[in-house]
Amino acid sequence: MKDVLKGNFTTREKIAVAADSAETLEEKFERTAKARLGGSVAYVSKKRVAWTDDSK
Amino acid sequence: MPAKEGMSDLTSNGPIREDGALVRSMIADMEQMTWDRIGEHAIRNAQYNLQYKNDGHSLAALRRHPMGKSETAVIVAAGPSVRRQNPAVLLRDHKYTGTVISTDSGIAHCLRNGIIPDLVVSLDPHPTRIVRWFGDPKLRERDLEEDDYYRRQDLDPVFADEVRANSEIIALMREHGKTMPIALCTSTSVAVVERVLEAGMPIYWWNPMLDDPEKPDSHTKKLMEMNGFPALNAGGNVGSAAWMIADAVLGKRRVALTGMDFGYYDGTPYSATQYYREVVDMVGEDRAGTMFSRIYNPHTETWFISDPAYQWYRECFLEMALDAECETYNCTEGGILFGPRVNFCPLTEFLTAHS
Repeated sequence: MKDVLKGNFTTREKIAVAADSAETLEEKFERTAKARLGGSVAYVSKKRVAWTDDSK
Repeated sequence: MPAKEGMSDLTSNGPIREDGALVRSMIADMEQMTWDRIGEHAIRNAQYNLQYKNDGHSLAALRRHPMGKSETAVIVAAGPSVRRQNPAVLLRDHKYTGTVISTDSGIAHCLRNGIIPDLVVSLDPHPTRIVRWFGDPKLRERDLEEDDYYRRQDLDPVFADEVRANSEIIALMREHGKTMPIALCTSTSVAVVERVLEAGMPIYWWNPMLDDPEKPDSHTKKLMEMNGFPALNAGGNVGSAAWMIADAVLGKRRVALTGMDFGYYDGTPYSATQYYREVVDMVGEDRAGTMFSRIYNPHTETWFISDPAYQWYRECFLEMALDAECETYNCTEGGILFGPRVNFCPLTEFLTAHS
């Protein structure tokens, strides 16, 4: 991409370009799509009810 | 039929099954997928619902509140077996005096058949769909055009005519809402909370257990500190949450399940399953079968189809059942929820033996 977008002026401030996210666009799409198939609520293994101090 | 990736006979470790190519990996990812689906919504809704804290009690209050005339409870959910079995009719005909706990999706079946649940349970944070189970006075024709979630599924046929069903539920809720307490998860949407308040249902609040509350930086612990309500391990879905409340909150010793199929009768078109649209979006219509399994139920000696979400619910439930203090009776006469510590019998048999 840098080879194509060279620009024709020099910016006053140095522009920081964020490093590529570890997650590609394709992976992000897949994660979003998968999320729609998830459950209604989480499941935590080996737990039942966590009572608050005033509810014990 | 699902794409066959080899039929496994896992009698010692699990059911006889035929899996679509993607099923196993999807079940393994389901915990993360669920967090991605509901995590932010649940926390945001809980923060928003803090303003309604004093419009209800803590779920803990139900521990001191005798419910029903015996140590038994029957859960009424809305799986495909309900239309074949009519559990509310059986409860009514048997003059059942134990505790009836309905999921939000089971309200219509109960009320239309003359059963007023002793307790309703609701938890899903979806912003628009869940309120429909309570009758949505704000429902517009345009909403129906945009979302076929209810009318395409293998549910109670009454939902096929959505406008009429909605009007009927609103009328039933107007008549009975005030006498139906609800164990309401703080993660539910503003639409559900406003509807519950409007209907006058007495609220008993609880938090969703999103992670281990004993770990540092636990989201669950933060919610508990924020509103003072207990957190319940809900097993991924509202039916399992209702069962957990019967066991761990109400202290019921024998709990029967109806409408908790976690699957569909063999031959049900994929398009009539809950997550069909999501499946098609992920893999396309042609490959939808890769996301389903066929599972053999040894009690009924018949096959059922199930998607990864429902199979994850099954796995969670069977693990929870091992630690339960109650005896569990699966009275759906079908589906895929069978295994250790889950008795399998018709509802009439349960009612006759334990009423």
